[in-house]
Amino acid sequence: MFELADITTFIVSISVFLILFVKVYVVAAVLFSLPIPLTWIERKVAGHIQVRLGPFTVGPHGILQPIADTLKSFSKEDVIPEKADRLIFILAPLIALVPACMVFVAIPFGESVTIPYINYELTLYIADMNVALLYILAISGLGIYGIIFGGWASNSKYAVLGGLRSAAQMISYEVALSFAAIGVVMLSNSLSLVEIVKSQAGGFWNWNLFYLPVGPVWFIIFIIAGIAEINRIPFDLPEDEGTLGAGFSVEYSGMKFAFFPLAEYIAMTTVSILAVLMFLGGWNTPFPGAPVVPPIFWFGIKVLAFIYFFMWTRFTFPRYRYDQLMTIGWKILIPICLVNLLVTGFMRILL
Amino acid sequence: MKKGRNVSRKIEGGLIGLLKKIFFIDLLTGMSVTLGYNLGKSITMRYPHEEKWIPYPRFRGVHTLNRDDEGRELCVACELCVAACPTDCITVVPEEDLTGRGIADRVPKVWTVNLVRCLFCGYCEDACPTTAVRLSRDYELATTDFSRTVRNRDELLQPPAIPETVKGGVVVEARYDKKNMKVRANMLRQKDWWKSKLNLG
Amino acid sequence: MEQIFFIGFAVLAIVSALAVVSLRNPVHSALCLMVCLFQVACIFVLLRSPFLAVVQIFIYVGAVMVLFLFVVMILDIRKVMLGSLVGKRSGFVYAIMPLVTLEFLLVIFKGGLGKVASNIPSGEEVKVAVIGKELFTKYLFPFEVVSILLLVAMVGAIVLAKDRDEGA
Repeated sequence: MFELADITTFIVSISVFLILFVKVYVVAAVLFSLPIPLTWIERKVAGHIQVRLGPFTVGPHGILQPIADTLKSFSKEDVIPEKADRLIFILAPLIALVPACMVFVAIPFGESVTIPYINYELTLYIADMNVALLYILAISGLGIYGIIFGGWASNSKYAVLGGLRSAAQMISYEVALSFAAIGVVMLSNSLSLVEIVKSQAGGFWNWNLFYLPVGPVWFIIFIIAGIAEINRIPFDLPEDEGTLGAGFSVEYSGMKFAFFPLAEYIAMTTVSILAVLMFLGGWNTPFPGAPVVPPIFWFGIKVLAFIYFFMWTRFTFPRYRYDQLMTIGWKILIPICLVNLLVTGFMRILL
Repeated sequence: MKKGRNVSRKIEGGLIGLLKKIFFIDLLTGMSVTLGYNLGKSITMRYPHEEKWIPYPRFRGVHTLNRDDEGRELCVACELCVAACPTDCITVVPEEDLTGRGIADRVPKVWTVNLVRCLFCGYCEDACPTTAVRLSRDYELATTDFSRTVRNRDELLQPPAIPETVKGGVVVEARYDKKNMKVRANMLRQKDWWKSKLNLG
Repeated sequence: MEQIFFIGFAVLAIVSALAVVSLRNPVHSALCLMVCLFQVACIFVLLRSPFLAVVQIFIYVGAVMVLFLFVVMILDIRKVMLGSLVGKRSGFVYAIMPLVTLEFLLVIFKGGLGKVASNIPSGEEVKVAVIGKELFTKYLFPFEVVSILLLVAMVGAIVLAKDRDEGA
């Protein structure tokens, strides 16, 4: 009945599907367990920056604290305000979380590894899209709807103000973020993240960060806009404790509330990974002569350094005022972006 | 036309200020400070489990009833502390005693203090003619048992956990005694406590 | 397989589009419009043009809808829900509706929509570089016209939003 070739192709396609499934599963598992170490690290960093110790009671050096927090979130009463828009109120945390996770479909963690014994070459990404960078920017921009809808559905003035602020802030800074991405695309001649990383191979002087003089400017613009996109201090106006209570999440409790920080942590990781891929050469070794370590090691080190950087800034800077935020976005970042775009273009043509 | 809207703002600090802004000098200064703190030693006292603060002698904690050198109770049940107490938290019932329990033939039959009412003002100390009642340096008064808030004579006659001879104003190593729900001091540590360790016993 | 996905996306897109116009609560409508635009992006992926799909999400779902919501959230929802968009001149609306529908159908079935991108091989994934080159060579004039249109709209918006007393 069946040709042999048909059966072979069938087996191959099944195995491809299985490998894809396993990859997605692993990435999802890592993603959902990511906030556990990250909250602990964040609280520890916060503690030590404020000359105290941070969590210390649950487990050695408080390492089990996030698990205790999770249990607490699960066991808390789940309050929905009486006049809230129930459907959107329940949907909003999901809308915040899902795009944050969807982004990871397009993120490469390395080029490929060959599995020993069966000689199978396993690629360390789920999909190498030729529009990966654009896809990540587009999807991560959707996470803001969780905040906007959550703020509106709560039927509370603080929450609505948080949502409105978030909307305006996101519109303002997505422009700068996209400009920075365009800059990188011009430097690397591709929208595929694997290609972008490949173009930065061979020593740290090849990194986009050190493409003088425009590289560092793009990098700083990306970092500033990235912090604003993920709503962290100094741009965390949507959840400004000082003036809005807790902003958009003021009416949320229990596990629904926990989804928002979860999404925020995943988004923070995304921005860190993106910065590493776009500017710091991804998994390429900074010193070509150095002893060979797995590329994933360099990747991890760089991403961790970035995550630490975000936590470090969070506990250093005060929050910007809202008009300052808008001024930085529209009157400073975007003009600099335009000038830098012009310079980058000329450098690419002439050099 | 709103005033001051079209006035071009001068950059603060001229050229140097501009350069400072371009290179984020102020932000970097702040970040270096916090990095220093992050890598430096924390000043947290891990209170119940590892460390404990021994207050200065002037501290007013829970009451204690003193004895003289021969072990006789100093209290003569004159009830002056009861009169001085602004919150009426001290109860004294005198009785006659010829066995030599106290320094006089009048001793307290009952001497209780209600720590929930007490505001630790120290007036009883001042009123006492025989230095019998003193406020000790025990400050761990939290309890889950409401009866523990009223201390009677026998408890108060026990010598306080921190003897009056200890200077105080120091952090000592301590351990948390889960069974008795008390923090017990191990070692006395002076101001430069990481150098010398005194045994408190 | 692809057919099934297409039908799924298309049905969801139509249902959500109907919900946009039939729901009373503007925020619910906005949510449905988001879903609709998202489904359209998915159909673009099935048509082998991921760039268009991503741009659809980026611009329409990501940016335009945020502005919509920004305005809608400031509205007094209860008042808006009570009122109806079709007011006194409903006869005019009902008269114009079939005409517009007819026009759309004509454009779709008789117009030249299918002939535009003829020099791009069909069935293959459209590369970003190809789109860029086409835009800046063959379609440069329409591209610039659209840019100017946007600029005009922006200037108009600024004029509308300017302080009223400043000119007086």
